[in-house]
Amino acid sequence: MQYGKEFWRRVLYLGRRSRFHSELNDELQWHMECRAEELEQSGVPHDEAMARARRDFGSATRAAEDTHDSWRIGWIEDLGSDLRYAGRALRRSPGFALAAMFCLALGIGANATIFSITTSFLFSLPSCREASSLIAIWEGGNSASSIADYKFLRDARIFEGTAGINPEMEVNWRNGEQSTRLFAGAVTDDYFSVLGVPFQLGRGIAPGETTTAVLSHRLWRNRFGSDPGVLGRHVVLDGRPCTIVGVLPADHRNIVGFGFSPDIFVPAIHDDEIVQFYARMPQGMTIPIARERLKSVFRELDRVHPKEDVKRSRNVLVTGVSGMDVLAQEQLGVVVAFFAMLAIVVGLVLLIACTNVAGLLLARASSRSRELAVRLSLGASRMRIVRHLLAESLLLSSLGATAGLLIDFVCAHLASSMTLPLPVPIQLVVAPDWRLLLFSICMVLLSALVCGLLPALKAVRKDVNITLKRDQQQVERAWGLRSVLITGQIAISTVLLATGFLFLHNLRRATSMNPGFDLDHTIWAYMRLVPENYKDQSRQMALVRQALERLRSLPGVQAAAITRRVPLNDNCVIGTDDLTTDLSATPMDVDYQCNNVGPDYFHAIGIPLLQGREFTAQDRKGSQQVAIVNEAFARLVFGNRNPVGHTITRWKVTFSIVGVVKDSKYFTLGERQRLALYEPYFAREEPVNLNFIVRTAGAPSGLAKPIGDALAQLDSSAAVETKPMVRALGLALLPSQFGAAMLGAMGILSLALAAIGLYGILLYSVSRRTREIGLRMALGATPAVILRTICRSSFGLVGAGLTIGLTLAFLGTRPLAMFLVPGLSSSDPAAFGAVIAVLGMVAVLATLIPAIRALRVDPMTALRYE
Amino acid sequence: MDKDSPQLLPGTLYMLILRILDTEPMHGYAIARRIKQCSADVLGVEESSLYPALNRMLIKGWLEAEWGTSKTNRKVRYYRLTTEGRMQLASEAGEFNRLVDAIQLVMKRA
Repeated sequence: MQYGKEFWRRVLYLGRRSRFHSELNDELQWHMECRAEELEQSGVPHDEAMARARRDFGSATRAAEDTHDSWRIGWIEDLGSDLRYAGRALRRSPGFALAAMFCLALGIGANATIFSITTSFLFSLPSCREASSLIAIWEGGNSASSIADYKFLRDARIFEGTAGINPEMEVNWRNGEQSTRLFAGAVTDDYFSVLGVPFQLGRGIAPGETTTAVLSHRLWRNRFGSDPGVLGRHVVLDGRPCTIVGVLPADHRNIVGFGFSPDIFVPAIHDDEIVQFYARMPQGMTIPIARERLKSVFRELDRVHPKEDVKRSRNVLVTGVSGMDVLAQEQLGVVVAFFAMLAIVVGLVLLIACTNVAGLLLARASSRSRELAVRLSLGASRMRIVRHLLAESLLLSSLGATAGLLIDFVCAHLASSMTLPLPVPIQLVVAPDWRLLLFSICMVLLSALVCGLLPALKAVRKDVNITLKRDQQQVERAWGLRSVLITGQIAISTVLLATGFLFLHNLRRATSMNPGFDLDHTIWAYMRLVPENYKDQSRQMALVRQALERLRSLPGVQAAAITRRVPLNDNCVIGTDDLTTDLSATPMDVDYQCNNVGPDYFHAIGIPLLQGREFTAQDRKGSQQVAIVNEAFARLVFGNRNPVGHTITRWKVTFSIVGVVKDSKYFTLGERQRLALYEPYFAREEPVNLNFIVRTAGAPSGLAKPIGDALAQLDSSAAVETKPMVRALGLALLPSQFGAAMLGAMGILSLALAAIGLYGILLYSVSRRTREIGLRMALGATPAVILRTICRSSFGLVGAGLTIGLTLAFLGTRPLAMFLVPGLSSSDPAAFGAVIAVLGMVAVLATLIPAIRALRVDPMTALRYE
Repeated sequence: MDKDSPQLLPGTLYMLILRILDTEPMHGYAIARRIKQCSADVLGVEESSLYPALNRMLIKGWLEAEWGTSKTNRKVRYYRLTTEGRMQLASEAGEFNRLVDAIQLVMKRA
C-alpha cells in the first residue's frame, strides 16, 4: 500500500519533470538569497554577501541532481528511452516491423479469441450480486429436485435465501393466431431477489407472483422490437396471460452457466416441477458448513417425506457458482478436454509466430552486429544491450497484441451473435474483461521473451573484435540457432496441420456417415401442447391419433409415426444389471438406448425391420408388454437365436419381443454401436412434447409447411415446428464441424506462418551467402552444384522438421480419438500424407526462389560487395 | 559552514525536519536556520543534503509542499507535516529517545 502510493507519486513526478526542475531552481535560488540577506544584516557588504552565500551553498547543480535522483524510477525511464529507440529503429525498417507484427497479431489474436470463448463458456461470472456467497446444491447428488423439496429446504431457513430454477422448460407463446415455442426458465418466486440479478428494464418476478414474466434481451430485441414500453404488456404463455415485469440486460449470464440463456423466465407454479437449487450463504458460512447443515436438513426430509428409491441426504454436493467450481460438478470431461486441446493448439500457433519473429530478429541482429559491437566497445554493458534488444521485441509484441486484440474483438462479436444449432438455448456472452487484459499482458511479455531473448543473447555473445574486423566472417557458419528454429517451426506446423487435416477428414466422414435411418425423405414435426389442456392422457391420445390421420392423408406423405425421442437429438440410456430372459436366468449387465415409438415408426423413419412386426395400435398401456430390439441387443442377449417370441425381464417387468430392427445411430454419429430397446408409445404416460416423423415420397422441403399447418389446425394453442430431418443433425454434427472449423483454421494459419518464416529465413540465409556464392562461382562452380548445396541444406532441415513433427503428431494426436468418428484412426495416413505434400511444396518454393535469385548474381558484383 | 560542527547521526535529519515542521509549515531555508538556532549553532544542515531529504520525505508522504508568498512577496515553497509525517515523528522520536537513554546508561555505568 505504502509502496503503491510512493510509486504513484513518482509516476506523477515523471509527468511534470520540467516544471519541477524550474521550481527547484527557484527554490535553491531563494535559499541563497535568504542566506545573503542574513549575512548583509550582520554587516557583510551586499556583493560579498551573495558570493559567500553561493560559496557556502556548494554546488547548486549537484543539489538539484541529487534531488531529482530521489524521484527517479530508474527502470521505467530506461525502459522509456529503450522503447523510444526501438520505435525509431522499427520505423527505419517498416517491412521487418510489419512482418513481425503480422505474425504476432495472428498468434496473439488466436490465443485471445480461444481464451475469450473458453473463459466465457467455462468460467464466466454469473450476473448476480456477490456471486462468491452463492452456492449450487445437489440434493442426493442430483442436479434437480422437486419444488416440494425446495419448499422444505427454504423453510428450514439455514441460508439467507434459497432459489430454484428449471432452465430447460418450454412454454407456448400465443402471439396472435400463432403459437411459438419458447425456451423458458421456470424459477421460484424468490429467484431474482435471492440472486440479485441486475435488470435492463423493470424488475424480477416478486415473491407470491404467479402470472408475471421476465424477458431475455434476445427475445425483447427479436420479438418485441426493443420496445421500451414493453413493461406491463400481457403475453399468453401456455394459455395463461402473464404480465411482463422486466427485461434482462444484453450481457446477462445465467447462473446455470455454459452460456445457457432461456428466452423467457416464468414462475414455477406446479409442485411436481423440478428445479436446480441455489442458495445464498449468510456471512461467515463456508461451503463445508453449508454441506453439513444441508445434510441434516435432507436427513430430516427423508424422515418426514421418505422416498422409496432415493436417499436425499446421500451424496449431497455443494459447489460455488463460478470459476473452477463449475467444473467440479459436471461430466464435462470431453468439453474440458476439447478446450484444453484448443488451448494447446493456439499455444503452438503462437509459438510458431514467435519463432518466426525470433528468426527475423536474429537476421536483423546479425546485420546490426557492427552497430552492437561498436556500442559494446564504447562501454555499453552487455546487460544494457540485451535490455535494449528486448525492448524492441517488447514493442513488437505490444503492437502485435493490439492488432491481435482487434482480431479477438471481431471474433468475439461473431461468437456472441451466433446462435448454435442446438436443441437447448446456448448463447455465449463474449466480452472483453480484466481477465482478457491480464492474459494479453502475459502474452505480450511471454512472446517478447520467447522471440527476443535468444537473438539478443546471441547478439552480445559474439566477440567484439571479430565483428569489428569483419573480414573474418566471409563464410560464416551457415546454420546454427537459426536451423534449430526452423526445424522446430516445421515440426510444430506439422503437428498442427496433421491435426487440422485429421479434423477435416473427420468432418467429411461424419457428414457422409449413414445414421442408419433415412435422412432424405423424412420430416420431423415437433408439436408442443399446453400441459393444462391435456391433463387427461386420453385427450392427448385422441389428438395424436387425429394428427397421424391428418398427416397420412396429406398428398406426398407415405407414412407418419409418433416417437418420444428423435434420434441424434435426444438421449436416453438405461443401465440395468438384472436383465434375464426366458432362456437364461443369469442376470446380465447391459446399458441400452430407450425410446417409445408408435405404430409404423420404423417404416416412417426408414429403419429396416429384420424380423417380426412393428408396434400396432393395440400395443398400449394395459395390454401385454411388448418390445422391439435392435440387432446389437438381440446378438448380445440372445446370441444367434431369433429373439421374436422370447421374453426379457428387467426390474421385475417382462416384455415379449415382437420384432428386431437394424442397428442405427442414437445420440451421436460418432458413437460406438449401442444396444436399443423400443417400447410402444402410450405404454406409459407421455409428455406434452410430440415428435412426428413423416416420410415423404419426394424431396421433403416442400412438405414442411403443409405438415406444420395441418398440425397447427388441430390445436391453435400448440406450438409447431417442422424441419427436414437432414437439418436436424445440428447437435450430432456440431463437435465435428466445430473441431474441423477451429483446427482446420489453426492448421492453415500455422501453415501460413510457417511458410512465411521458412521463406524469410531461407531468403535471408541465401542472401547472406551471396558473397560466398560469388566466390564459388568465380572459382568455377556450376549453378547446378550451387543449387544442390543450397537445396541440400534446406531440405535437410525440412526433412528433420517433418520427421520430428510427424513423430510428435503420431504420439500427440492419440488422445484426440475421443473426438473422432469410429473407424477414423487418430494417426490417419491420409492426413499425414497431405501434411508431407503441403509442407514439402512450401519448402521447395521457399528454397528455390531465393536460390535462383542468388544464382543470377554476377560473381563480380558479389565479390566487390565489400 | 562551520567545519567543527559535529556530523548528524545518520537518519536523524529526517527526524529533525519532522520535529521542526511539527510547530508550523516552513520553507527550506527557514528549516535549516531553525535547526541551527535550536541546537545553539551546534548542528548545521548542509544545503546539498537538505533538499534531497525534503524531496524523499515528499515521496514517502510525510510532507506536503505548497507554494506561498514570503514577506518580501516572493513565491516560496512551504513544507507542511502530514498525518503520516506526524506518526512517523512520534515513532522516530520514541525510538531515538530509547537509543540515547541506552547509550547514556552505558556511558555512565561502564
